[in-house]
Amino acid sequence: MRCDDLERDLDAYVDRELSTDSAAALREHLATCAACRLRVADRHVLGRLVRSVPYHDAPDRLHARVAGRVQRVRFVSHVLTWAAAAALVVSVGGALLLRSTASRDDAATVEDVVDSHVRSLMAEHLFDVRSTDQHTVKPWFLGKLDFSPPVVDLASAGFPLVGGRLDYVSGRPAAALVYERQKHTINVFICPTSEIRLGMTERSLRGFHVRHWVRDGMAFWAVADLNDAELTEFARALQAT
Amino acid sequence: MASRVFEETVLPHLDAAFNYARWLTRNDAEAEDVVQDACVRAIRFFPSLRDEDARGWLFAIVRNTWFSRVSRRTGAANALSLDGNGVDPADGALDPEARLLQQNVVGRVRAAIEQLPVDFREALVLREIEGMSYKEIASVVRVPIGTVMSRLARARDRLSAVLKPSSLPMERVR
Repeated sequence: MRCDDLERDLDAYVDRELSTDSAAALREHLATCAACRLRVADRHVLGRLVRSVPYHDAPDRLHARVAGRVQRVRFVSHVLTWAAAAALVVSVGGALLLRSTASRDDAATVEDVVDSHVRSLMAEHLFDVRSTDQHTVKPWFLGKLDFSPPVVDLASAGFPLVGGRLDYVSGRPAAALVYERQKHTINVFICPTSEIRLGMTERSLRGFHVRHWVRDGMAFWAVADLNDAELTEFARALQAT
Repeated sequence: MASRVFEETVLPHLDAAFNYARWLTRNDAEAEDVVQDACVRAIRFFPSLRDEDARGWLFAIVRNTWFSRVSRRTGAANALSLDGNGVDPADGALDPEARLLQQNVVGRVRAAIEQLPVDFREALVLREIEGMSYKEIASVVRVPIGTVMSRLARARDRLSAVLKPSSLPMERVR
């Protein structure tokens, strides 16, 4: 991998559309090339800038007008379309349930962190730094992120810290902390946020459970295939520190 | 009954559809018209939606609706380039409101995105703001995935040249 290759793969890497092998090769190159690191960082900054532009929500009158049209159609709808609709509910109902209960951003981010979690387990790229010592893990992030993630060991609560790595959440660099509970791996993704959110959000996707909360300007996403109660216990333990 | 399902599957994406249309048209009133027309079509086509992603399906209809409006209006293919060399809006001729907007970072970013050719702009918006994968974008825009990637790269290169992200003070604060 040379700087020219990065030119080709830069966007796919930033968008996490690169194969795991190519991404690993690229990361290897980044470790030794400050100029390319800067180019990747610029892409991330650019992404944040683009996402900082406020969303254009549909005006209320448009919502009302479209809803009104649907109402009118309701009177002329017919048994055959009902049958087609029933088939649709069966096929997409599951996915839509998630969409409608979570906000648009949340649903996308949940998918994102679950993907990252799965990838970390499959690619065997679980650790950049492997240590059960929070005083080793925390300084490791220094200089690799533009924020300092809180790192605490939860061995006393039954969730030992085992390491950390750099990852991404919604295209932004994030700290990933890795904890264990028996044979289960818990990933905690941490990145700065301007959002203010009270309480803890609970989501499930493809058999993984997700807990999300915000504290001191940091967004936390805990993902695992633990059972619901254990993950909540973990999240509470982490929040209590 | 189909209409109830429509309400549950398609209407939740109305804001997203409007956002996408607003970035395509760069105009509130026109975006509203486009989305309303698109929804009328969507209701009609709804039985053809199977287990596709409803948001992508609606976006594709919004996009077609807008393209057919524009080509009807201009009667010419040159208004919309599919190769990214389209007619850019007048760069220098910013009205007072646009100039005021440029004084803050968000305004500058918005203006910079709006100046991008439509192919680049929509790829960027669908990726960054809607969080779509290359595959999802490719299916809305109906181009190969490689084209999505190169449009994104060119959109970001152009944006970088205008915004110079590494020099923005805002990023140190956040």
